[in-house]
Amino acid sequence: MSQSTAESHTLVAEKSGIGLTRPDHRSGWVDWLTTVDHKKIAVMYALAGLFFFVVGGIEVLVLRIQLSAPEMNFISPQTYNQLFTMHGTTMIFLGAMPIIAGFFNFLVPLQIGARDVAFPRLNAFSLWVFMAGAIVLNISWLFQLLQVMGIFNPEGGKDIVPAIGWFGYAPLSAGEYSGIGSDFWIFGLQILGVASIAASLNFIVTILNMRAPGMTMMRLPVFTWMTLITSFLIIFAFPALTIALLELMFDRMFGTNFFRVSEGGQPILWQHLFWIFGHPEVYILILPAMGVISEILPAFSRKPLFGYPIIVFSGAVIGFLGFAVWSHHMFTTGLGDIATAAFSLLTMAIAVPTGVKIFNWVGTLWGGRIKFTVPMVYAVGFIWMFMMGGFSGIMHSAAPADSQQQDTYFVVAHFHYVIIGGIVMALFGGIYFWLPKLTGKMWEGKLGYWAVGFVVVGLNVTFFPMHFLGLFGMPRRTHTYLAETGFGPLNMLVTIGAFILAFGLLMVIIDMIKTLRSGKPAGQDPWDARTLEWITTSPPQVHNFDKTPIVKARDAFWYDKHGDAKYKMEYEPDDGHGIHMPSQSWFPLMTGIGMMIMGISLSLYSGGVPFMGYLGIGGIVVVTVGVYLWLFEGPGGYHLHPESEESK
Amino acid sequence: MPWVAVLFLVGCDYKSRQSTFDPKGPIAQEQLDLFMVTVWVVCFLFVAVGSVLLYAVIRFREKKTDSPNFKPKQSHGNPVVEMGLIVVSILMLVIIAIPTLQAIWFTHDLPEDESNHLGQWYDGEISEESEEEVLTVYVYGWQWWWSFEYPQLGITTANEFAMPVGKVVNFELRSRDVIHSFWLPKLAGKVDTIPGRINSMWMQGDEVGHYYGQCAEFCGESHAYMLFRADVLSEEDFEAWVVEQKAGAASPDGGEDWSGFKESLASYRKDPAIAEEWDDVFEGAALFYSKGKCNTCHAVGGSGLAMGVLAPDLTHVADRVSLGAGWLDHRAEDEGEIDPELQLENFYRWVRESEKIKPGNLMYEGTGGMTGLKDIELTDDEVRKIAIYLQSLK
Repeated sequence: MSQSTAESHTLVAEKSGIGLTRPDHRSGWVDWLTTVDHKKIAVMYALAGLFFFVVGGIEVLVLRIQLSAPEMNFISPQTYNQLFTMHGTTMIFLGAMPIIAGFFNFLVPLQIGARDVAFPRLNAFSLWVFMAGAIVLNISWLFQLLQVMGIFNPEGGKDIVPAIGWFGYAPLSAGEYSGIGSDFWIFGLQILGVASIAASLNFIVTILNMRAPGMTMMRLPVFTWMTLITSFLIIFAFPALTIALLELMFDRMFGTNFFRVSEGGQPILWQHLFWIFGHPEVYILILPAMGVISEILPAFSRKPLFGYPIIVFSGAVIGFLGFAVWSHHMFTTGLGDIATAAFSLLTMAIAVPTGVKIFNWVGTLWGGRIKFTVPMVYAVGFIWMFMMGGFSGIMHSAAPADSQQQDTYFVVAHFHYVIIGGIVMALFGGIYFWLPKLTGKMWEGKLGYWAVGFVVVGLNVTFFPMHFLGLFGMPRRTHTYLAETGFGPLNMLVTIGAFILAFGLLMVIIDMIKTLRSGKPAGQDPWDARTLEWITTSPPQVHNFDKTPIVKARDAFWYDKHGDAKYKMEYEPDDGHGIHMPSQSWFPLMTGIGMMIMGISLSLYSGGVPFMGYLGIGGIVVVTVGVYLWLFEGPGGYHLHPESEESK
Repeated sequence: MPWVAVLFLVGCDYKSRQSTFDPKGPIAQEQLDLFMVTVWVVCFLFVAVGSVLLYAVIRFREKKTDSPNFKPKQSHGNPVVEMGLIVVSILMLVIIAIPTLQAIWFTHDLPEDESNHLGQWYDGEISEESEEEVLTVYVYGWQWWWSFEYPQLGITTANEFAMPVGKVVNFELRSRDVIHSFWLPKLAGKVDTIPGRINSMWMQGDEVGHYYGQCAEFCGESHAYMLFRADVLSEEDFEAWVVEQKAGAASPDGGEDWSGFKESLASYRKDPAIAEEWDDVFEGAALFYSKGKCNTCHAVGGSGLAMGVLAPDLTHVADRVSLGAGWLDHRAEDEGEIDPELQLENFYRWVRESEKIKPGNLMYEGTGGMTGLKDIELTDDEVRKIAIYLQSLK
């Protein structure tokens, strides 16, 4: 069905509960800053994610130049440490997670036939708090620059950009051994955690409560299922990180002794807390990627997902077991034989539900009619590359063998196969798959195929040799190595691979820009796809659907098009009331700005910069006032009356 | 195999210094054997799943002649196939799990074989209870160097240690600051040194040789420069090494007795001009124990003048083949002898510009009231003399 062209709106309440004019129906940057539309929020998440993805990529290319030959002096050791710390932190928290959040935001309401998420202003809040955390973390580069220029000189501060690794192991991250970079890192991550937890609660409520009629849980598209599981993982995993960061912050700022050995603290406690968060975090990243793959494969095989219930269930099992394997990051810390054995076996166990997914994806292809569009090439590439990462994961589960691999390039190879071969491949495939829906424009030509080719070749040239570097004895996080170790030639190869990979990723970005500038209209269903997002216009209008669809099957749209008459799509009748739309608001942005002020100034306070404590309190005041204004402004809203085809 | 092709292309040596493919002890061997089990299982899975996947994408791809509206059978899954594959994957994991459990206990438990007890093979003097124990080494991780203590033998050394061939050696691992990881790849996988706790591991070297290890846990600015060496020696050589290590350093004038030097040092402190008639070793020593303040952190056994514990023990520093925690090698080639000229140059460079070789090191920066070299103005000539003195510490 085609959707309305003209829309009319009636305002419910132009003035908010606090007597201010609501920023509805504005255009330009005011609209973007105050928007509560899940699609616009998705775009901002994704663009921020892509931006930081490029930043993290540039950081790692500098690292690779430094490592390309033995005893290089391209950058100093501490700069190297800062770059790898920021590369890891950026890629995970500021690259992968916001791109995934962009997918969640764009797709979940569309896939379940809803008009928006359950709490639109909370959604905007998550976005702006994410931006605040990203800025707190990265503004450390600016202060580092000021220090190099001699303008800024905080106490104890040679490392103003964090140099403690993305894992921030105490006591290296404690006051005696690191500068205020650790404070930027602590506050940045703490703020990002707030954003993630708020967003997750929002998605859980949305998925559980806002499904279209007939959309039972076992009819949910797999991507939405994975979003639900991931959201639960986030709300269970992030509190562990929150506690760890809080304790570390207290150790640094108030002299508590959670991790400080001289006062009886226990540094090993940090590792347990961090990995209870850190391992589920891996699944927080990979489950949405698996969801994306589970949407692309059926669409281009023209077949339903093979074993839908088992795929969903194994996703849940992975999420559950993900909380039971954290100590496999700690096999070398002296866990003792019993714990080592237990975590070894549990880690192996996680290979089973993961393997199940791979079998079912292959089963989806089997007997299908496979069309190798660009997203499909990514999806099939994902299966191969993710399999490689999974296999080295099985190798790690054998704890005694792992004690030779732990903290070497073998591990670096393993998780980059999972992260780039898995997550990045899936997300880029997803971007190619849904970009026509998001923008209404279709990519064309061969550039997309060339790009994925370069990505896969670059990925393997970069990371396959790393397995051997690790087994030959090269530890990670070392800024250089002696020529006599023999690591030189393989490192040169790895560096060449990294540039091939970077070139491939650059081509992807160019292809996207090209599509945005000159893509042809995509139409609402270019792939003959299966789920509800394809029944609406491309790009979807602000209210998503003129009429709420009534779901009669899993893959409802496919059966509407190709199934029996009984599956023909029906819609909820128009009640004449119009579509209720939420009002836009300034206050999510305001609370985000407050958090940013707080994070930056408390980090600087730790470096003894005058007045920063007061500014930090000021930030907290801004947050508090923002939340109260948000509360008292009231939800507001207005009604839309789309003119659908039938009423014309 | 693509792996072999890659290795061939870049001309890699799988027996390089720190390679885990070249185990020289039972633990590293056990770990490699287990690793190879995982490799074969994984290769089998890769070939099995990969070939099905490859077949599927070739067999079921859309051909140009196909109708674009063709609709394949909408099958939803096959419970028998799915359950079967789950059972097969569990079986594959059992193949890995059994040797994993065996290896966990093998590598964890100190072997009970009595022939390893000190009393059975060590001829030197030890206490009675030590006779029933295996040789124990205390390992201390410091930012960014290693200290090795042999409590049963009364020896302390730094960055290079020795162990007897074919004997089980017990290691107790501690850290003095942040977390480090003790890794000697050809003998055993790594175990962390964590402040506030003691970890332990055992190792045995089955072949006499010089082995290379490295800190494997990120420990701050100069983590990459935190290397160490191990000499696996024959029993006789090991015992001779112990005797050497137990002896204190000779006085700078060559004698056992330091009293002459101490008198000269006292007068030198009043009037450095008297050094004009001294030779370089003697003057270097005077600088070492006075202006350079080296003795506040370093120890020189037998001198009674240097008993610092914050920095590497220098009693026999010139006997070691490397400097700066394994970064500067005194040998012109691997397996060669110490080259005295290179050694002197290394000592000179280390004292002159340690901040460039190992940024952030405390010898340069100073710590907790100890003056660092950045605040002591040593002339090049003074540094040269200190280096000459260091080279005499054998």
